Amino acid sequence: MNPYLPVLIVLLLGVGLGGILSGLAHFVGPRKPNRIKEEPFECGVPAVGEKDKMSVKFYLTAILFILFDIETVFLYLWAMTFRDLGWFGIAEIIVFLVVLFGGYIYVVKRGALEWD
Amino acid sequence: MTQELVFLAFASLIAICSMMVILSRNAVVSAIFLVGDLFCLAGLYASMEAHFVAAIQVLVYAGAIVVLFMFVIMLLNLGPDQRKHLEVSAPEIGVLGLTIVGFLVIGGLLLLGQPTGVTGPLTAEAIDNAGGNTYTVGMVLFTKYLWPFELASMLILLAIIAAIVIAKKEHIKDGDKRRLAHG
Amino acid sequence: MGLTELIEVLSSDTAIQVIASIVKILIVLVLCLQVPPLMVWAERRAPAMMQRRKGPNRVGLFKFRLYGLLQSAADAVKLIFKEEVVPRGANKAVYHIAPIFGVFTAMMVACAIPYGNDISVFGQKVSLSPIHLDVGFLFIFAISSLAVYAVTLAGWASNNKYSLLGSLRASAQMISYEIPLGMSLIPLVVIFGTLDLNKMVLAQSAYPWSWGVVKAPISFLLFLVCMFAETNRAPFDLAEGESELVAGFHTEFNSAKFAAFFLSEYVAMFVLSCLAATVFFGGWQTPFIPYETLLSLLGGMEWLAALAGFVCLIVKAAFFMWVYVWVRWTLPRFRYDQLMSLGWKFMLPVGLVNLLVTTLVVAFIENAGRH
Repeated sequence: MNPYLPVLIVLLLGVGLGGILSGLAHFVGPRKPNRIKEEPFECGVPAVGEKDKMSVKFYLTAILFILFDIETVFLYLWAMTFRDLGWFGIAEIIVFLVVLFGGYIYVVKRGALEWD
Repeated sequence: MTQELVFLAFASLIAICSMMVILSRNAVVSAIFLVGDLFCLAGLYASMEAHFVAAIQVLVYAGAIVVLFMFVIMLLNLGPDQRKHLEVSAPEIGVLGLTIVGFLVIGGLLLLGQPTGVTGPLTAEAIDNAGGNTYTVGMVLFTKYLWPFELASMLILLAIIAAIVIAKKEHIKDGDKRRLAHG
Repeated sequence: MGLTELIEVLSSDTAIQVIASIVKILIVLVLCLQVPPLMVWAERRAPAMMQRRKGPNRVGLFKFRLYGLLQSAADAVKLIFKEEVVPRGANKAVYHIAPIFGVFTAMMVACAIPYGNDISVFGQKVSLSPIHLDVGFLFIFAISSLAVYAVTLAGWASNNKYSLLGSLRASAQMISYEIPLGMSLIPLVVIFGTLDLNKMVLAQSAYPWSWGVVKAPISFLLFLVCMFAETNRAPFDLAEGESELVAGFHTEFNSAKFAAFFLSEYVAMFVLSCLAATVFFGGWQTPFIPYETLLSLLGGMEWLAALAGFVCLIVKAAFFMWVYVWVRWTLPRFRYDQLMSLGWKFMLPVGLVNLLVTTLVVAFIENAGRH
């Protein structure tokens, strides 16, 4: 049996369950919409102003996340093969990490991780 | 036979999702279809028994890069596309034409030669015997492709620095504006 | 098709595997659906106990009140039959599909946990994790990294400032802590040399001193912190800080859609608890009784041994679920800048150093063992 068959089954069942829950909300239960009820919640006062633009910080966090995520992937590959690579492999990964740690120190020094 | 059916299913899903990425008027909806697209691509890799690449495809592309796209869409606070009709500019037609020509050329080359069906020494069985897909990828990467791997660290480093430089510039500009606004 | 042919088809090797995997999946899904009601109950009764209150204790069947356990069932029914109110200006399509992302990722990840050792069914070896892949727990990371979309899309689609801000905070927090989470588990891969969770459990054996928590204690602490951050739970629940952001990304969600978010949140907690138990506390291994001994004690019945293993895993996971509740009513909420600097400035470097030290120690020990 293909090991991905269960993955497909769970995917379908999971999406189905989510869809049923999401659909139940739509079809079961009363529907008496009115203008006030449909107002986006704002602590009981009329909504003021536009949606705020988000801080550039979030964007920076996402970019750094991608880069360090890729690093983690390499580390997983290395951890799997570390026994057979021996000291040479350790040296390899230390070089890799030193370069990236340089980048990390730059990030910290430039204050990119400060949330004010 | 099954392999071909699976390929066809995923390939058509990918085609549909890709079309939706381009055609939907809302950028966030496009991003959702992009996630579906990349997910199906992972399915394609999985059907070729490239387990590691499939997992990484979901982890890095669907789970990280599209998150960044979504953040950017929200950062710019893009509304839905207001145009009533699809307008296609001259460069876009050019790109479309080039793509079609490219596909035709590839198809012609495939028809002329016999490049398909030739498997290298690393078949699925060979990989299983060598200790699994992830292990084999790791061994190849850390011995044969040692230099590209170390260069990848430099690439990530450059990307980190570039991201900070660009984002920080924006930040300073914002600060200036605020200072100006407050007099 | 006659009965004998049907039996023949159904008893072929592939058919047994397929049927077994469907049964396994259904069992795990049913198990997952039990988690939220029980946890909701625990989260009401436990703080009541801590604060010397009674907590919900009325709802019951006839005279049996069961300590208010049926309150959760009543709540579920109520949520399903409530009116759904979609806020004006919401993006309808995205609003409807956002909960699905949470539910299916949580379910898929729950299916990748080994709930027991392999058993044989009609001469076929059947693994007790419904999804058993070559990439092992990279699959768990890959799928759970998609859970962030439920949060992002829910907040964006609601057309509400609080929802958007809450969802941005929550998703930035989730992606930030994914890195230390991944980093904290790499030393375990180095120690046990496998990505396969079941092999990792086997390598840990039944004796607590060879469990992951003893071999990589720093990893465990990092993982424990990430568990709370990944699920947006107290003390890192500032994505839904009531006093400033109402309820965060699900402010505008109600009725069964709200239940869907509840379900995915609690299943995600359950999966991380199971993962912690599996990687650091020997998974389905019964403490002090090796699997072979257990098997011979039970007269060679693999089913019973598997059941015992399953119970052990659930007990270990239940402990972590309890820690979730306990911490929630003990620690105050972090500030957002504190949360982000904890993740990026403390956990990330500590994770890297931990990895290097673990690697060097393992390398030296194995080198010494070779000579």
